[in-house]
Amino acid sequence: MFDRDTGGARIELRALTKHYPGQPAPAVDHVDLDIPAGELVVFVGPSGCGKTTTMKMINRLVEPTSGEIRIGGEDVLSLHPDELRRHIGYAIQQVGLFPHQTIGQNIGLVPKLLGWSAARTAERVEELLTLVNLEPSAFHDRYPSQLSGGQQQRVGVARALAADPPVMLMDEPFGATDPITREHLQNEFVKLQKQLRKTIIFVTHDFEEAIKLGDRIAVLRERSHIAQYDTPANILAHPADDYVAGFIGQDATLKRLALLRVGDVECTQQRGSADMPQITSDASLREALDVMLAHGTDRCGSPSGVLTYGALCEAVGTEPASASEPTPASAARKEPVGAGPATALKEAVRR
Amino acid sequence: MTTATLRAGRTRPFGRVSGLRHVITPVILCGVLFALYAWISAQNLDSIESRSLTREFLLAKAVEHVQLTFLATALVVVVAIPLGVVASRARNRLIAPVILTVANLGQAIPCIGLLVLCTFLLGVGFQTALVGLVAYAVLPVLRNTMVGVQQVDPALIEAARGMGMTRGQVLRRVELKLAVPAILAGLRTALVLTVGVATLGAFVAAGGFGELIINGLKLNRMPVTIVGAVLTACIAFFIDWLSGLAEDLLKPRGI
Repeated sequence: MFDRDTGGARIELRALTKHYPGQPAPAVDHVDLDIPAGELVVFVGPSGCGKTTTMKMINRLVEPTSGEIRIGGEDVLSLHPDELRRHIGYAIQQVGLFPHQTIGQNIGLVPKLLGWSAARTAERVEELLTLVNLEPSAFHDRYPSQLSGGQQQRVGVARALAADPPVMLMDEPFGATDPITREHLQNEFVKLQKQLRKTIIFVTHDFEEAIKLGDRIAVLRERSHIAQYDTPANILAHPADDYVAGFIGQDATLKRLALLRVGDVECTQQRGSADMPQITSDASLREALDVMLAHGTDRCGSPSGVLTYGALCEAVGTEPASASEPTPASAARKEPVGAGPATALKEAVRR
Repeated sequence: MTTATLRAGRTRPFGRVSGLRHVITPVILCGVLFALYAWISAQNLDSIESRSLTREFLLAKAVEHVQLTFLATALVVVVAIPLGVVASRARNRLIAPVILTVANLGQAIPCIGLLVLCTFLLGVGFQTALVGLVAYAVLPVLRNTMVGVQQVDPALIEAARGMGMTRGQVLRRVELKLAVPAILAGLRTALVLTVGVATLGAFVAAGGFGELIINGLKLNRMPVTIVGAVLTACIAFFIDWLSGLAEDLLKPRGI
């Protein structure tokens, strides 16, 4: 099967359609999409837009009406569904850990289905628990009901990774946790994916999450039509239409700032004065702006030099002084004419 | 079987409280049996009574009664659990009402009537009583199996399917495992019901404590009837106690 290479496989969807019997319109209508190997693609769209259905067709929990799916060049529809699913990681919002099995048994489930030896499975379970930051000796023999929501989600991710599948499907896996835990899990997950480079399809309706996790984002409208498919930075800078702009929300520029690190920006090479607010080089530009606003200055010190407000504007492609020339992004935001980026940013922060 | 009882079963802690719970029933039963023995010993028994209340006769009747009960329940397990699974499948939603109606009929028709009907077909004896009892006790096990399987969280089934379990594996490793508490509760009800109803077996010459009760009534010998009735009740409580132990032991850990 396609998982000879566990580092990720290319997924191609061609004219993928799902038409439920008795319904006037198809739920998913002729979707064409290429997902490069080793990338995390986020499907984002409103509830009921068909994003989950599209994802579930890839592991054939939903059988496509017509169209083609290829993973690593192999035609998915010609494979046996149960066998196919054992080679695709699957994590869902409700986690779905089996309450009557220990954490170790839950994680070792797919390897067992694949006929791995007990020793190999045990070794893998141990490795995965460590990978998702759960102490193996403490968690291996516990039952799911003894774990917190966040810990259960981690086990869910570990279980999806168990057989080292090249492709993973994740349906809002962090959706049911509180904001703090979710943020934590997202950060861990970003780190994990940097290391693993799986091909991941990640479904969410939270655009913030999409920006944070995605190498690319597919913004979907009803019937899973792709409104825009691009990197987060490009979508934020150049939304394809009003629908996408509406989905991004009012603070596209701030979201772009959040994507950039202080270390990525050219700083003026002078030493900052001691009373200047300081910021680390791995902080985001959004945090840098926050520091500036909080201190009422237009510059702050970083390890590589002084970061100015002008440099921030340049990083997102706007001119600090041009008060009357609206940028593409600000045009999409329908700002009052004449409001400069500085006012716009300050206003956005106040919101 | 309600979700409330399921939940109660889930949160019940092992330890002193449940230990006490497991001791109370046998202690009370021993007390009742001792009181019965003392009362009978104090009576002046006539020849009919003393012939009915010998150790050998009572023991033989007890064995018959328990045999009838357990054989009937074993048959119920074989019949009702598979039927319950069949009735719980979404694609069988057309047959499910039929199965349930038949099972309901088994319980709705008075057992004594059913036994008489069976005599026309099978003659009198042990196997006739067995058929009647099975028909009577199928419903609780079937119903509980159905409910137990259906109440499994759909997310668990989706996760199981998504990981590549076949339908059979999902049924065996997830759905039936999680339905065990409900199925055991149904079996417990069926067992206790059967102990009581098995007294009617005496009408079709299947033996059991029913013989004592009926003979006592017919011959107007109160002590004989009372001994039969009290011993039947004691067996019912004892089996209920055993099933309670079995529920605690067989319930999958973690739920």
